[in-house]
Amino acid sequence: MENRLEEYRTKRGFTQQTIADLAGVSRQTIISLERGRYNPSITLAIRLARLFGVQVEELFIYREEDDQND
Amino acid sequence: MTNQQQYLAQRIRVGWGILAAGLVIIMVGAALQMFFTLPFNTRIVSGLGIFIAGVGIAQIVRYRAVLGSQQVAARVVNEERDERGRIIRARSGNRAFWVSLAMTYFLLMWLSFASSGSLPEPSTDAIWFYLAAAVIVPFAAYIASIVYEQKNS
Repeated sequence: MENRLEEYRTKRGFTQQTIADLAGVSRQTIISLERGRYNPSITLAIRLARLFGVQVEELFIYREEDDQND
Repeated sequence: MTNQQQYLAQRIRVGWGILAAGLVIIMVGAALQMFFTLPFNTRIVSGLGIFIAGVGIAQIVRYRAVLGSQQVAARVVNEERDERGRIIRARSGNRAFWVSLAMTYFLLMWLSFASSGSLPEPSTDAIWFYLAAAVIVPFAAYIASIVYEQKNS
């Protein structure tokens, strides 16, 4: 699933480790999220969206083709 | 107390529990050695207790060491409870389980056929080495799967 995590993170000047600490996950998870290799759980998606003060749909872009590719 | 401190406190309590269990087993082993004559070396029981007590001590030391720094404690907790890490460990455990099941089933079938003379009877040594492999190979599969998943997911 495509996401704008890196875009929002760099806009606010945060490091991956800072986002990981704030979201309660490992830095490796943030790296995998930004590379689009990992889809977060609903709770993690909401925590990340709240960190940046945006809606989940603005941060994570769901397309139906993503389901077909899984 | 924060969520993370509660988690660490709980892990430390588990460590104390494991240490207590180890000490009890050591005492049982010592009592068996002193008061009973059994057809096996009762020091094995005490040795097992020492091992378990060591696991408990390691757990206590590990988690108490990070309590000093809130940032380090938070990172340790995040690493352990990380959802992606849990998924990777669960997938890897599942693969290791199937490897272990296949190896154990293979030995079971071989011994079954050997008892009826259809296959040669393996020696005690061969069975010992095979069982050792049945521990090591699934563990290696577990580690390899974790490494693969960390790189690719």
